[in-house]
Amino acid sequence: MSGPRPELVVDGFPKRGRPRWIELATSADHKDLGRILITGGLGFLFVALVELLLMRLQLAIPENSFLTPVAFNRMLSMYGGTAVFYFAIPLVLGLFYYVGPLQVGARGTALPRLGQVGVALWVAGATVLYAGFLFTPSEAGVNPLAPLTELAFLSNNGVDAWATSTGLATLGFVFVAIDLLTTIRNMRAPGMAWRRVPVFAWAAAVGSWLILFVGPVLLAALTMLMIDRNYDGIFFADGSGGAPLLWQHLSWIFFSGAYMLILIFAFAAIAEIVAAFAAKPLYDRGVVMGSLAAVAVIGTLAWMQNMMTAPIGVGWMYFAMLMSLALIVPFGLIVFNLIATMTGGALRMRAPLLFAIGAIGAISVGLAAELEQSLVAAAWQLKNTTDATAATHFALVGGAVFGGFAALHYWFPKMTGRTMGESLARISFWTMSVGLLVAFVPLFLAGSEQGQVVDAYKFFDHTGVNAYNLIATIGAFVLGAGIVMTLVNAILSRENGAEAGHDPWGGDSLEWFALSPPEPHNFDVLPDVRSDRPMRDVRDAIAHRTRSAERPARQSQPVA
Amino acid sequence: MSPHSPGTDQIDTLLLIGFIAAALVVVAVNAALFATVRRNRRSRGAQPRQDRGGPGVQFRVGAALTVFAALVFVLGVVFTDKAREAPSGGEAGLASAKADPLKIEATGQQWLWRYDYANGAFSYYKLVIPVDTAIELDLISTDVVHTWDVPDLAGKLDAVPGKVHELVFRADDEGTFEGDSATLSGQSYAAMRTEVEVVSPEAYEEFVETQADEIDTAQERVVGLIENGEVP
Repeated sequence: MSGPRPELVVDGFPKRGRPRWIELATSADHKDLGRILITGGLGFLFVALVELLLMRLQLAIPENSFLTPVAFNRMLSMYGGTAVFYFAIPLVLGLFYYVGPLQVGARGTALPRLGQVGVALWVAGATVLYAGFLFTPSEAGVNPLAPLTELAFLSNNGVDAWATSTGLATLGFVFVAIDLLTTIRNMRAPGMAWRRVPVFAWAAAVGSWLILFVGPVLLAALTMLMIDRNYDGIFFADGSGGAPLLWQHLSWIFFSGAYMLILIFAFAAIAEIVAAFAAKPLYDRGVVMGSLAAVAVIGTLAWMQNMMTAPIGVGWMYFAMLMSLALIVPFGLIVFNLIATMTGGALRMRAPLLFAIGAIGAISVGLAAELEQSLVAAAWQLKNTTDATAATHFALVGGAVFGGFAALHYWFPKMTGRTMGESLARISFWTMSVGLLVAFVPLFLAGSEQGQVVDAYKFFDHTGVNAYNLIATIGAFVLGAGIVMTLVNAILSRENGAEAGHDPWGGDSLEWFALSPPEPHNFDVLPDVRSDRPMRDVRDAIAHRTRSAERPARQSQPVA
Repeated sequence: MSPHSPGTDQIDTLLLIGFIAAALVVVAVNAALFATVRRNRRSRGAQPRQDRGGPGVQFRVGAALTVFAALVFVLGVVFTDKAREAPSGGEAGLASAKADPLKIEATGQQWLWRYDYANGAFSYYKLVIPVDTAIELDLISTDVVHTWDVPDLAGKLDAVPGKVHELVFRADDEGTFEGDSATLSGQSYAAMRTEVEVVSPEAYEEFVETQADEIDTAQERVVGLIENGEVP
């Protein structure tokens, strides 16, 4: 939809003579930093996928000896760290960081150097984790529960590398969140009141607040862990006043917050995409925005849902169950508004919308399963079974991979000036959908019927889960093939995709007013923001003036 | 999983309730999604209607969702409370444990479960309990967090170092029930399994006595061997 471009352009912006990678490595521009996070995040998606598939190979047949117990635990720890800290959060944050300031019409960010330091810390964290991988990775699992992480039980440096790495990455996320939040609060274009802020930029603000709350909690826990391991601390050691459960509380607050961050991102991206591809406004912006904020608060307060089998009072478990079930209301309202937005729309079934719809479906399965697991006594059976693994993966693969790919397909033209290949995107989507179901539905059954436990490097022949695990392994490879297709599609389309123009989808928010890719200063001029759909207003004005210009007596004038 | 205790009977019911609620959510969301996408494609000539919702419909949807969540919450509390109810010993159970539950200590240690019975006997891996008798399993850990998990007899609970976590249950049927540990505890975590043998009260008493005697005999033999210089 590239009509006449309604803005003044400085052609031939002076280029500096340094190589592109030096420009990128030294840039404090939110778009460059966002691209580092997004590209890095997608790269680590591939790495996490390889680790997952190696574990699934080990679990394809009973009592397999493909991976040794230690190798399996190392793979598990690397997979968890990579998927959370180096794929999901950076992809989410990178897209927020790239798109958020553009959407609110900012010409840059408020504290660019802070964001630059944040991304550098994240890169440093990734380096530490994978440098650790080369000699001794952590063996303590996805959320390494104290006191297994104490020096007495794991004496090599793996846990130290894990803690340093996640600490650096989390500090980086906090810095980026500060920059992003400050920008969205203070640098919105004239006329862009909070009620006119695009949903995705609003989600970026909510997500940043969330990181500012839960990030420091994990940093504190990691600091205590490092003191325990290296300076004879006793924070998580039993006896002498230490408390192993303290780690569980602090870490689960962070992980619950991260879980909610991913879902907030996914639903906000889906809301933008659904509105654009239905050519309609969001059914009720206020309700969606309020629900996203409610999810951040209530979802994080449900952290003790992960501690239903721990020795905490049953009252706390009821509190966690109440918070988990309360999430039904905001999530339900969001989904209702998304469907109501599509109703009466003219849906263009392009790749972003396809992935967005797939994401809603996958997340609905994951969250419904979480609903069952939040019932206290049900959690006593289902917790730490593959049922829980399947629920988490439906919700987070739905949110971060399907939702992330929806956002990637949607904003890829803005970042590169080219659209991603449509037919490969479709094949990838259907492969991924089949793979997700085949990989994780059997794990639901293995967990809820036979109680197969998570994180175990093998299962036994007589426990009745052989077929489930074999099917799950096959499904995981299908899912992986689908994911790789989209990654390949992104690489190929960067240079060879169809040229997109500045507004390929007819979006309503201001990022589509900028060039694709945007100039370093984002905008030469900005239209006055007079509604929550500024680009629609611009298109209407152009249409109006074009019609007027057809009458001979009137002279057309530039918009701006 | 098939329930063999009053607690797991209740859990089973709650699992069914949870499954129905979850299935309702999945079916409602995906059916609505599918129908909407089918009906509103531009390729079928739909024209976008620029409508927005009023507060009324949002309020009604929110209220319906709240009622649904509240209903599930109430059912969750009711059945969890039922599952937590300490069972009493039955007719066929151990006579000495009618009033108070029979206490057995379960110690998680890397990577084996140890059970200590009241008369000083102990066993590894295999727990023997009398049928139809309330058992209080005191879960403790000597190293890292372990989770005692025998799904047919009780919900799983953690053994955390420095804490005693009480698990009270009653096995209704005789038989052998397999279980495992459900929290990653290091290298041999997957092999840290356990087994509960539910037997008649007479068989139980015979087991603990024989076990205690055999442990004493073994102890005396070891002491004898060392004192006689046969083992350095």
